[in-house]
Amino acid sequence: MKPFVLCCVIVASFLVLVSPLRSAEPTVDYNREIRPILAKNCFACHGPDDSHRAAKLRLDRRETALRPRKRGAAIVPGAPEKSLLIQRVRSDEESQRMPPVQTGNSLTPHQIATLQRWITQGAPYAEHWAFVPPKRPPLPAVQQRLWPRNGIDFFVLAELEKHGLKPAAEADRYTLLRRLSFDLRGLPPTPQELEQFLRDRSPYAYENAVDRFLADPAYGERWARLWLDLARYADSAGYGSDPLRPNIWPYRDWVIDAFNRNLPYDQFSLEQLAGDLLPNPTLPQRIATAFHRNTMTNTEGGTDDEEFRVAAVKDRVDTTLQVWMGLTMGCAKCHNHKYDPITQQEYYRFYAFFNQTADNDQPDERPTLAAPTPEQEAQNRRLDAQIAALKTQLTAWPLVAVRALRRTPIPVESLALLGEIGKLEKARPIAPQVPVMVELSPDKQRQTYVMIKGNFLHRGEQVEPGVPAAFHPLPKDAPANRLGVAKWLFAPDNPLTARVAVNRYWATLFGTGLVETEEDFGTQGEMPSHPELLDWLATEYVRLGWDTKALLKLLVCSATYRQASQTTPEKLAQDPRNRLLSRGPRFRLEAEMVRDQALALSGLLSRKMHGPSVFPPQPPGLWQAAFNGQRTWPTSQGEDRYRRGLYTFWRRTVPYPSLAAFDATSRETCTVRRIRTNTPLQAFVTLNDPVYVECAQALARRIVKEGGPSTEERARFGLQLCLCRPPRTEQVQHVMELFQTEREHYRKDAQAALALATSPLGPLPAGMDAAELAAWTVVANVLLNLDAVLMKG
Amino acid sequence: MDLRLELARAHTRRQFLKNTGIGAIAFAAMLQRDSRAASADNPLSPRSPQFPAKAKSVLYLHMSGAPPQHELFDYKPKLVELHMKPCPEELLKNQRFAFIKGHPKLLGTPYKFARHGRCGAWVSELLPHFSKQVDEVTFVKSMWTDQFNHAPAELFLYTGSPRNGGAALGSWLLYGLGSENQNLPGFVVLISGGTDPTGGKALWSTGYLPSVYQGVQCRTSGEPILYVTNPKGMDRATRRRSLDTLRKLNEAELKEFGDPETLTRINQYELAFRMQMTVPEVMDIGREPKKIQELYGAQPGAASFANNCLLARRLIERGVRYVQLFDWGWDCHGTGKGDDIIYHLPQKCKEIDRPIAALLMDLKTRGLLDETLVIWGGEFGRTPMNEARGGSKFLGRDHHPHCFTIWLAGAGIKKGFTLGGTDELGYFITEGKMSIHDLQATILHLMGLDAWKLTYPYQGLQQRLIGPEGKATIRYEILA
Repeated sequence: MKPFVLCCVIVASFLVLVSPLRSAEPTVDYNREIRPILAKNCFACHGPDDSHRAAKLRLDRRETALRPRKRGAAIVPGAPEKSLLIQRVRSDEESQRMPPVQTGNSLTPHQIATLQRWITQGAPYAEHWAFVPPKRPPLPAVQQRLWPRNGIDFFVLAELEKHGLKPAAEADRYTLLRRLSFDLRGLPPTPQELEQFLRDRSPYAYENAVDRFLADPAYGERWARLWLDLARYADSAGYGSDPLRPNIWPYRDWVIDAFNRNLPYDQFSLEQLAGDLLPNPTLPQRIATAFHRNTMTNTEGGTDDEEFRVAAVKDRVDTTLQVWMGLTMGCAKCHNHKYDPITQQEYYRFYAFFNQTADNDQPDERPTLAAPTPEQEAQNRRLDAQIAALKTQLTAWPLVAVRALRRTPIPVESLALLGEIGKLEKARPIAPQVPVMVELSPDKQRQTYVMIKGNFLHRGEQVEPGVPAAFHPLPKDAPANRLGVAKWLFAPDNPLTARVAVNRYWATLFGTGLVETEEDFGTQGEMPSHPELLDWLATEYVRLGWDTKALLKLLVCSATYRQASQTTPEKLAQDPRNRLLSRGPRFRLEAEMVRDQALALSGLLSRKMHGPSVFPPQPPGLWQAAFNGQRTWPTSQGEDRYRRGLYTFWRRTVPYPSLAAFDATSRETCTVRRIRTNTPLQAFVTLNDPVYVECAQALARRIVKEGGPSTEERARFGLQLCLCRPPRTEQVQHVMELFQTEREHYRKDAQAALALATSPLGPLPAGMDAAELAAWTVVANVLLNLDAVLMKG
Repeated sequence: MDLRLELARAHTRRQFLKNTGIGAIAFAAMLQRDSRAASADNPLSPRSPQFPAKAKSVLYLHMSGAPPQHELFDYKPKLVELHMKPCPEELLKNQRFAFIKGHPKLLGTPYKFARHGRCGAWVSELLPHFSKQVDEVTFVKSMWTDQFNHAPAELFLYTGSPRNGGAALGSWLLYGLGSENQNLPGFVVLISGGTDPTGGKALWSTGYLPSVYQGVQCRTSGEPILYVTNPKGMDRATRRRSLDTLRKLNEAELKEFGDPETLTRINQYELAFRMQMTVPEVMDIGREPKKIQELYGAQPGAASFANNCLLARRLIERGVRYVQLFDWGWDCHGTGKGDDIIYHLPQKCKEIDRPIAALLMDLKTRGLLDETLVIWGGEFGRTPMNEARGGSKFLGRDHHPHCFTIWLAGAGIKKGFTLGGTDELGYFITEGKMSIHDLQATILHLMGLDAWKLTYPYQGLQQRLIGPEGKATIRYEILA
């Protein structure tokens, strides 16, 4: 070989070796760039579903995509021009071009170029990122080394620096406390709590505040709310007449308490999925299984119980995979999943785990379980003691005498005692009968069959319980029932459970998940914005023993969370949706918070916990349900009018209108994400709903009573109370002007003044002037509608 | 003041994306790609259809409970002849019924039928006013569904799926076409008969589509839209002044935080203020001339089907894209006087007959019928057999998915035409089978939308009204 040629060969091989680093063409990432193109445009016909596969071509696997065909192979690594896939997507002939025009899809020139580049680079495939168990990544290097407060911040900062962005400054203490208070317990901080935080000059002041909020029982209420959307918890059975389900609230209370006692997420899940299958389950563990009794029951005349039992079991399957693994299974009921590796047969194998409970769409919701509240239990214990005492008196008679009672007349004393015992027995409290999961006995277990096209009447092959083959197997010690499913979800090799959970906490605090499609971690979902951060958090959650409070503390103590939420035109341009986390979260409070805040600021809020759901005022006539459903809304009296939104009676077909306006869901099925909207109907609620008018009236009275003697002091007080920060002079000015104009107006119209100051709240307090209060009511109504009040800043 | 422009400004595109999540990204991308897009900023701004449309708006009159086709349009002399004879055995094989047990008897209609109009359509004596309008309509006697319980059948009809979670027809139309009037909801629901339809609110739910496309129920008694009325003691001038202060405070907030959502909120409050004027105005049928009120048989203040028909016209006139009426009380099982075909049905027919005839005439006079698609029907049909539940002596019919009659009129629809037919007992369809998905695809087609391409990505699927399988046919036979 001539030296020149040899030299060239050496240079060439050197170039080949270093080319991935030096090449002008960056390496194409299959998961990020290629799979989304193929998934959207190709997999429906050339994907995992073999029943609808066109041209016997399967593109979601490398070996089948490379397989030689008559006219070549779909993909020839290194040779895009020889790859049929490229020829077909570039074809000028409409009949030849892929994807077919009827699908409504088409590839952009950029997408075609990406495909070509990928094939040039050898067409490497990769497993879908979310199906590979997370590995704990090392913390990345950052320049601004003093900024990070914990691990989270390294990942966020590294990404910001990559984009030439700097994090925002830390938010001020007022903002931080309000943000924390809403995030951790769903309520605004009280003036006293704000004062305490401002005075705490220790380096641990922030952490102390976090600990106080985490310890507040309101914490459990706030986080239960989120879980109840997933659990599709409601106080009615759904479908047509949507009859009331007045006895399932002990489950809601179980969730609140579980959060408050910080039940680790694995145990929390295990008890809800299979509490009844644990050895010697406690009453709360059995109540927890009502999680899957929140499915709908169809009592409409003439419905087939089996049809709707099947619908409920399918809902349990879908909800389980959705809640814990972020997978959407809807399509696999009828056919193989077109995008994710789940066949129809596998769907029904998983279904078989859930197909063995005794419930079957009965109007009385049986099987149910008597679930006395702690108060009822205490009362029962008292009664037991009293009855036992009376019985000792009865048995104090010689045994012979007792036997003789049968024949001889019963002594007067004994009669009285028996009467007394009877009375006490009757005084026993009636415990709510909670619908729960009860496994059928082995001899009554059902056979499970594939349902052809999802139709329960069309049986396909018989299947045994099992998990989808694309995932890890059922752990060795796991039984083939719901308990086994729970163990499988929390097995160390489960790739999704921890990721899905931490992503949900993240989305709750930051407004958007690291994976934006919280409900879909499958191949159709979005890629995470910070994949390493997601995996770091997932492994951290496991390391913390699924300790939810500890994880939340980690999140809110990060510098990322503590950033100010002000934005600049530059940041809006570069990071419009704050996906890079270049500033603090700022988004609208959720429905229940909007209500709870108005009640809290006005001083009307009742902090009473637990118990049957309540009926705060709503417009008349909304419960016009069909058939025989209950048609009147029994408006609550007393403090139950002012309970937190969480306790509002939730009828699926007629959700409480002011909550629904702020995007609360119907809870008919599991909802992972409430999509936030901003509509004029929301303005109507907070401006005109009598509940909010009442809050404005109470707030007005509070301003007059607590705000100080002068108008200016009162304006300042009202603003500071609602904004949780000292107001600026111009804000005070605007409020004072409105107050003065309206006071003039109402002085001229005593009747209107009285109406606005007292209806519906109640008569004027002694010594207060109607025009004055009416004017402050107008002001308070404005305060409760401020953008800064409706938003979490 | 150009309200449309103002609202468009209120929604920056960014904001829309932020509010509605990932699905909206695809949507906005679609809009950007699509030259039809008038404005990608406001999800409700009017957009031109995918191809020239025959209809601008849809008015759907739903008889909730499913009216008996044998008493109204599907005339079967043979059935009358065989009245109270046992139903032929072969018709009962492999059939599931909601209530019928044992071997039912055939039920011939007790009502007289006659041919009407130039087209000679059969209509029974129960609908004397409507009979005069038959030359305006196309009857489809060959509708069928695969659902035979009310809620799933209604969900199937309006969302394309018998289960909860889908998006309503009206929502799809707003998603595809936007709304012509930015001071009124683009999708309005009006209810009569004292009870919501069995399918409930899910029938006008936006499902997986962004919630701005949600149907809004307007009421004829009480507040027309919930909470539209200012509190007692607050007049419009005070409301205006309070909103001025609110705006000033919010503008300062916008300056400080630079969040586009604040701007949206400021504008939504202004829109709410305008709606406080427009909604009560449009909902006040007392503003109609006496003559028109009488034509419909409407009475201001009542919650009646007649009032809703008149309201529907007022809404359509103002550019509302989709108006849905639900009238409860058509579930004629014959378990008693309250739901039979002898006492109850004539009463129900009386409630709708005159208003519907008036509606068609009124729309026509105003030139609105040419651009409005009017549809009348139920969620399924009723059996040719008497139900006789628990030995009831009252006559009535059970649920029947195999055939039922609907009619369509107005924009793009043939006049005086009938599609399809049923066997001599009115049990099965003999010709012209039209499925629910066919109906949906045809409605979308008339509105200038391609049912196969009007999609929204959700749960790993390109969701659409006609279902993921896309098995539907546009029924050109009924199009003018």
